[in-house]
Formats: sequence, C-alpha cells, structure tokens
Amino acid sequence: MNVTKKQQRQRTLKDAFLNGLTAFSSMLSVLVLTILLGYVFSKGIGLVNVDLLRNQYWSKSAIVAVEEGTQSGTFERPEDLPKEAVWSEKWGIALIDAVSHEKQALVLVERVDENSVFAATVDTSAGPNQGKSYPVVPGLQVQKIDFTDQQGNANFTGMLASETAEEMVHALDQAVSIRSVFIKTPGGGIRGSLIATLYLIFVSLLFALPIGVASAVYLNEIAKKNRFNGLIRSGIETLTGVPSIVYGLMGVSVLFPITAAFGATTTNILLGSLTLAIILLPTIIRSTEEALLVVPQSLRDASLSLGASETQTIFKITLPCAIPGILTGVLLSIGRIIGESAALIYTMGTFINDSPSLLSQGTSLAVHIWSVMSGEQPNFELACAISILILVFVLILNLTVKLISRRLNKAWY
Amino acid sequence: METSLRHQRNAEKLKRKMRIDKAFKYLFFLAALLSGSCILLIVLFILIKGIQPFLPGYRYGQMDLLQFLFGTMWRQDQAVYGVGYIVINTLISAFGALLLSFPISVLTALFIAKIAPRKLSAMLSTVVELLASIPSVVYGVFAAGMIVKLVKWLASLWGISTAGGSSLLAVILLLAIMIFPTITSMAVTAIQAVDHELELGSLALGATKTQTNFKVVLKSAKSGIFAGAILGLGRAFGEATAVSMVAGNKLFGPTFDLFDITRTLTSTMLAGLKETTGLDYDIRFSVGIVLMAVILVSNLILNAVKEKVGNHG
Repeated sequence: MNVTKKQQRQRTLKDAFLNGLTAFSSMLSVLVLTILLGYVFSKGIGLVNVDLLRNQYWSKSAIVAVEEGTQSGTFERPEDLPKEAVWSEKWGIALIDAVSHEKQALVLVERVDENSVFAATVDTSAGPNQGKSYPVVPGLQVQKIDFTDQQGNANFTGMLASETAEEMVHALDQAVSIRSVFIKTPGGGIRGSLIATLYLIFVSLLFALPIGVASAVYLNEIAKKNRFNGLIRSGIETLTGVPSIVYGLMGVSVLFPITAAFGATTTNILLGSLTLAIILLPTIIRSTEEALLVVPQSLRDASLSLGASETQTIFKITLPCAIPGILTGVLLSIGRIIGESAALIYTMGTFINDSPSLLSQGTSLAVHIWSVMSGEQPNFELACAISILILVFVLILNLTVKLISRRLNKAWY
Repeated sequence: METSLRHQRNAEKLKRKMRIDKAFKYLFFLAALLSGSCILLIVLFILIKGIQPFLPGYRYGQMDLLQFLFGTMWRQDQAVYGVGYIVINTLISAFGALLLSFPISVLTALFIAKIAPRKLSAMLSTVVELLASIPSVVYGVFAAGMIVKLVKWLASLWGISTAGGSSLLAVILLLAIMIFPTITSMAVTAIQAVDHELELGSLALGATKTQTNFKVVLKSAKSGIFAGAILGLGRAFGEATAVSMVAGNKLFGPTFDLFDITRTLTSTMLAGLKETTGLDYDIRFSVGIVLMAVILVSNLILNAVKEKVGNHG
C-alpha cells in the first residue's frame, strides 16, 4: 500500500498537533510556577527586611512617665536626620510618619537626644517592670503624649487624636512640661517563630538522625533477608504515605505523655520536634541506605580482613563513606521541617509565641503563616513575606542537595 | 624473624570486641525495630482514641456510629457530627484534581523525557522539582490570594455568586497543581525506563516518532504512570493546610456544585481547633480513621485496577 501525499501531510499535521499539546502542557507548569512566585514576591517583598526578622509579633504597650522637675531645653537638629523626620527643638526628639503593614498610619520615634527628657523616662504600667527605667528609643511607636500647656491645663497629642508627626511636634512646642508618653513596641515580626523553627530543626534531627542512620545500617549491613526484616522495611516505607495531619494526631496521642513527663502541660515545641522526628525517619533512612549501597563491598572486606571488628568497620569505614548521603538526608529533612504545617498545628498549637521555649507553645514559620491566614482578617502581606523566606531557604537547600548528589555520583573511590 | 603472630592474640581483647559487636548489633536492630513499628503505633493509637466516642460509657456521651458514618451534617456548635457527606466531598475533590492533573502531567512527562531538546528538558525538570519542593502552606497562601480570584472571575462570567471564591473548584485547582509534580516525576521515570528496542522496532515498522511516543512509549510506561497517579491521589487526600484555606466550611452536603463551598476530611480536622479535650477534639481522631480508611481503600482498588490494565495490554 502506498502512502499518498495527502495522508503524509495529514500525518505531519497530526504529529505537530500532538507535539504541540505536550509542549503546551509543559508550559502550563512554568506558567503556574511563574504566577505563584510572582504573586508571593510582589505581595510580600515590601515587608522583607531586618525588622521583620528581629521584631516580636505582638506589640507591647507601655505608659512611661517623665521624671518630675525635668524641663525643656534647646536642642540642635542633628545634621544626619532624614528630611521627612520632624524635629522638636524644645524637647530634643524627632518623630516621623510611617505606615504599618496593616496600612494604618503610625508615628514612630526617629531620634532622641541623650539629654532630652524622653531619654530618662520610667515605666509606669502595672507589671514587674513598674518603676524601672524605660527610655524612649528610636523605632518605638508613639500613641499619645500627655503634657501641660501654657495655661496649666492637661492636654495630649498623638495618634489617638489622629495627628501626624508634624502636628505632634507643633503641639509639643506649645507644652510647658511633659507628663507621660504612651508607647508601643513595633509588632508583626517573626523572631519568635524563627527561634521556634530552629528549635524544631535541632531537636528533631537530634532524635531522627541517630535512629534513622542506625536503622539504615541495620537494614543494609546487618539484617539477613528474612520475613521479619522485610516487615520492618515495609513498615518504614508505609510511613512515607501517611498524611502529615495523621502524624499530628499520632503526636498528641502517643508522644504527649513523653513530653508530659518532662513537665509539659500544653502542646509544646518538644512534642512537635518528636513528631517531626518520626516524619523524618523514612527520608533519612532512605538517603542513608542509598549511600550505603554504593560503598564498595571490597572496602568492607579489606577492613574486616585486616582484623577490624564489624563495629569498627561500620563506624570507621562504611559510615564515613556514606556521609554525603547522610548529609543529603539531613538537608531534605530540614526542608521538610520548614515546610511542615498540619502536624505541627496539632502538636504545637497556633499561638504565636514571642519567647518560645522547648516546653511552651509556639509556631514554626509555616504555622505562623497558617496563624495569620486563618484569622478573621487574613494578613496576606505578612504571609507572603514569610513565604518568600521559606521559598528562598528551600531553594538553597535543594540546590545544595543537587550539588552534593553530583559529588556523590563521582565518588572518590 | 617471627613467622607467626598467633601468640600475640589476646583472647580477652577479642572477647571484648565480640561483645561490643553484639551490643551494637542489638542497638542497630532496636533502632530499626523502632522505625519499623512507628506505623503500628500510629494506627493503633489513633484507632483506640478514635473509636472511644462510639463506645458505651464515653465521658461526653456516646455517639451513634451509623449516624457518624452516614450523616449529612457537621455542626460543632450543636454536637452533630456526620462524616458521610464529607467523605463524598473528599472523593470528589481528589478525583477531580486527578482528572485535571493526570493528562497534563503525562503530556509534560512525555515532553520532558522524549520530545524537548536537552536544555529545555533540564529546565522543565527543575521547574517540576521546584513545584514539588514548595511547602503546602505557601500553596495555601497562593490559593487564597490568586486561585480564589480566578474562581470568582469565572463565576461572575456565569453570573453565579461565590463565597469570596472559596469553593470546590478552587480546591480542585489547588490540588491539581499540588499533585502535578508527583505524577509528572513518576511518569518521567517510567517513560525513561521504557526499553529503547521497543521504540526502534516501532520506528522500523514505519511509525513516526510521535506515533511511537504516544502509542508505544506511553503504553509501555502505563504501569509506572499509574503508580504515580496513585501516589498523587494519596497526596490529594491527605493535603490539609492548603485545602483548609480555600475549602470554606460547609455544614451539610454533599457538594456537587463547583462554585459552592465544600468541606474535606482534612479541613474538618483542622477547622476550629482550639480545645485539646472534649468530644469536639476526640471526634477528630475518628475523622482521622475515616481518612486513613479512605486512602487505604482507594489505594487497594486502584492497585487492583493497575494489575488488571497493567502491562498486558
């Protein structure tokens, strides 16, 4: 049978169409990734700065009082003060207008002269710090300043009267004496979550790494091929398919008593770490095993024939050769820890804790996102800003893993 | 010169070495046993805790098991817990995502493995890897910010109003994106593993390259591609945080309307989690059992199907 020109052309067309279809599908994935990255970066990049990492999430309010008798003076405007800042010559303080990440107008302290009355204020709000020195420092948010005006009347100025920095300084210049300042520390930062995430990484690896590596050594070096060891292996493999939220349930039911023995009363970071340790086990075991598999048998044989015991061979020959693989496992695990959310919501709670400790509640970066997103008013900007941090970190980890595995592929032996 | 070192053997030292060897072997074995038995612990404890509400003498009042399994309403405020419609919703959203994602994934895998020039293929593999490494909360933020808007716009084209875009369709789109890298990477592996001789045979018989790709390569890789689909479906079932951000929390159901809000098993487990005691908390373990059962049963069925269509056709 001969193929006619027409049939041939039809075939070519059809092929081109099918090939085009595959190319189109692949482009869809590129499109999705681009839109996702574009969205997250455009929305969150404005918030990514050192303050985000350093600040606490909850802003704390305090009323600080000016010491009796201190008075105004004449302060020279510092030369390096930014143009937008408004300087009060009488009181030696610079205020500046700002906008919070919730798009609210704020007045921040930009500079305080060291001889100003504001540099020697005392905390008057009830609490353990009452009566202690609490100077007004740059970066604080000024809610309100109480003062006595020329007629001897008590008056106030500030954001509570929705005044700008300029109006406040103007009002202050009319004042005879300052009485107290209502200040707020800046909030919206992720310092606590950052610390909690570090806790999670260290503590969960502390448990998962030895157990995982030891399991891999057993499965690859010691275990005989029998039914029981097969069961262990399939048990570990099944762990990979368990959804993370189920791990969360497991954490609160199985592991909570362990942390309670250490004195925990609520869900806590230690519980989250232990749960994560179990989530990480299959990853670490698999990557260690893959590395152990490529260690040549001749190395082990040589070590044994020289009189080393099996334990010595494992610790001094086999495991050192497998270090790149173990490292890959660790990096993959860190990526998993940073991204994990569902299991941690169950085991650590969703309360954003500014000073987390092992036995207190806290949030990892991912849970922090969940926490600000699941409220009444989801805070997309902050969520995207944290997402950027997570994405950058995960990207770096992935690249490192790629580099290491390339190294592993051209091994030295 | 000495000819033998035998007399230098120290029996005591040797014995100690053997003892250490044995001790470490036990230690390694214990570690492996611990890792291997985790899954048993998980299943056992969740079963124990999840069954409790249905046993007589339960602290907060015994629940009716049948009502729980086949109920069509979930109201925490009224202590009415029916998981039946939620199971249906979960199945709809997961299979909907698979339906959407599967063809795109397979075509992409074919493009990466066989059609694209080397550089482009490497770039696309990186894209797929990147998509796989993005954590689910980030997908959630993206879905709550962008996918929801897309759904809203689609709905307005038809003149339907949505609950701010949170809907079954948003869940399906989100899950489709999330399981795409899983299926694609499995499919790429399967396609690359196809015997080259088969392709050459097809080409020698006069088939074009494209015909070979679609009719020979894809057919031979069927089993591996199917395994990827099963894995992806598992991920779709178990995905929690991202789904919760766009599912809405429908109180009754099931939801068949694409633009209506829905509720999946995982979003139910996360919704309104505040107390750590009480019926409302314990019932989440029961939902967990149902989730595991759904995953297990659908895996078994799909594996059976895979065996059937497997590599015989």
